[in-house]
Amino acid sequence: MAKNESTQPEIARPYANGVVWRRLSPLATVLVLILVWHWITDWQLVSRILIPPPAQVLQSLAKALADGTLAKHAGTTLGEMMLGLPLGVSIGLAIGYAIAKAPLLEYILSPIIVAFQSTPIVAYAPLLIIIFGTGPSSKVVTTAVIVFFPTLVNTIVGIRGVSPRLRDLMRSLNASRWQIFRKLELPSALPVILAGLKTSATLAVIGAVVGEFVGSGSGLGVLVISARSQYDTPLVYVTVLTMTAIALSLYSLVALVEWRVLVWQRRST
Amino acid sequence: MVKLIRYLSLLALLSASIGSAQAALVEERILLTFIPNVQFAPFYVGIEQGHFADAGFDVSLDHLQEPEVLDLVAVGQANFGIVSGEQVILARSRGRDVIYIFEWFQQYPVALVHSAALDLSDLEQLRGLAVGIPGRFGASYSGLTTLLSSAGLTESDIEVKEIGFNAAEVVCLGAVDAAMVYANNEPLQIRNRAAAGDCGAITDVELITVASQVDLVSNGLIVGRSLLDSDPDSAARMAGALKAALRQAINNPARAYLSSLKYVDTLPNGASLVAELEAAAERQARFLASHPDRQAVAASRAELLRQLSQQFDPSLLAQFQVLLNTIELWDADELGFSDLASWEAMRDTLALMGFLGDELGDLADAFSNDYVLGGSE
Repeated sequence: MAKNESTQPEIARPYANGVVWRRLSPLATVLVLILVWHWITDWQLVSRILIPPPAQVLQSLAKALADGTLAKHAGTTLGEMMLGLPLGVSIGLAIGYAIAKAPLLEYILSPIIVAFQSTPIVAYAPLLIIIFGTGPSSKVVTTAVIVFFPTLVNTIVGIRGVSPRLRDLMRSLNASRWQIFRKLELPSALPVILAGLKTSATLAVIGAVVGEFVGSGSGLGVLVISARSQYDTPLVYVTVLTMTAIALSLYSLVALVEWRVLVWQRRST
Repeated sequence: MVKLIRYLSLLALLSASIGSAQAALVEERILLTFIPNVQFAPFYVGIEQGHFADAGFDVSLDHLQEPEVLDLVAVGQANFGIVSGEQVILARSRGRDVIYIFEWFQQYPVALVHSAALDLSDLEQLRGLAVGIPGRFGASYSGLTTLLSSAGLTESDIEVKEIGFNAAEVVCLGAVDAAMVYANNEPLQIRNRAAAGDCGAITDVELITVASQVDLVSNGLIVGRSLLDSDPDSAARMAGALKAALRQAINNPARAYLSSLKYVDTLPNGASLVAELEAAAERQARFLASHPDRQAVAASRAELLRQLSQQFDPSLLAQFQVLLNTIELWDADELGFSDLASWEAMRDTLALMGFLGDELGDLADAFSNDYVLGGSE
């Protein structure tokens, strides 16, 4: 029996090669940070006015959850993001694909695109409020604008990275444009496009919050300003951490999609 | 009697310190809000005309948001800051021990601006109208709450629209019926646009100032408790220097504008305008030597604007006019003093808004007029 066991192929055990540790390490980092945070406030290395203790932030979180404040404002921001993100990504994908296929378009559009991208969004967000109004549409637009560029760039890079030899091969097999797109270009470009989408997902929070900073009645940006103006520092921390959690969740969601969609890539490697 | 003794001891401290202060200037940072702007002219005058140096300070200026100014002063990272009185009350209600020692703005600067075509002779007529505010925070929101309260209205009686700091554009676009603004600045912008035919259907605007309804404590100089405990003389000297600089800015706006040029990049500074202002500043200095009263000085400011308007384009004079408008909010017979009633009115407004924390304590501890006495005008 013992002999049989020793001759069986070794089953990969997660803890054997450090997979468990790798997966737990982000959690460990967060725990260490919270401990350091606790000690800093407990030993009063920094005034509690500037950095409140974690327990106080937790209390504030419980209160904001219980009275619905956090849900209301987070819901607004999420709503703006859920409209702005697909809008910006769709436009980025479409224009990115067009530019990748027709380099002339790049010469025509690049001055506008680069000018828009190189200007900090906080500088022209007030103009978007004036143009698109004080309602949610201006925040949707700021979100769309901020997620547009990474999607665009990654789409161009991804499509242009498709092997010309494979494209020629498909053409020689009489593949239609649609078939070339679906069977070659999209799968080849997808890893790069999804990498851009991960960046866009995290930027979407920034876009929505910047729009809310400039003028809004609800949203996490408004909650930060409101809490800050009332010197409710724990609530400021709660709001910032909520923004972080939303960004991380979206990032993880795209990473999950990437993991599921790019199953062929993992197999091939 | 106790107060008299405190005043006298502060004066004694001040006079004793003058000699040594002149010997070595102490570097001191004053935290201001917003961005460099002609509305901060008294601070530029204080530096350029030597008022801070006379008090023993080598002053530099930083601009931050109000809560950051207050927190940095509260934790002792800066000794002096400028914030509105409402911020002092809010911050004290959440455990920040800061004390307001000099009232800079004698009148609350916020007002409701609306098209002159709209009859709002009675504030009750605001009912059902769309009113723009930057957001539900800060002086504009406090001002709106006060105005509504004075008319027996609440927020639910009007449509509040958060428009950011874009009142001029939004009002001209007609997206709101009225907006809360700073009385010294945005109405001027809207009027200039209207005069140029660039403000939609609006040809002129009218103002309802918060100050006309209720006296609320406004912007002023704050210090941390630790400074008052360790170095009250320094607080008194700073308040005195600010008082002298403020009075000079009020009395000689041409000099105040010229002092601001070094700090505010966007101020019109054409050679002919600067030369005219230099001449006006000299004339005003000679006029002031005759010790005119406040009314005479106010008349001289109006006359200066009239003369300049005949020579220069309105766009070149817009910031000078903002300065003159702001001076009206600063001016008083006695500069620097705030009274308990204006603090109580502000506290009541904040309580109505539900913003107060539970650590406010005695409101009289939030401010002190003792340190104003150190300055000469």
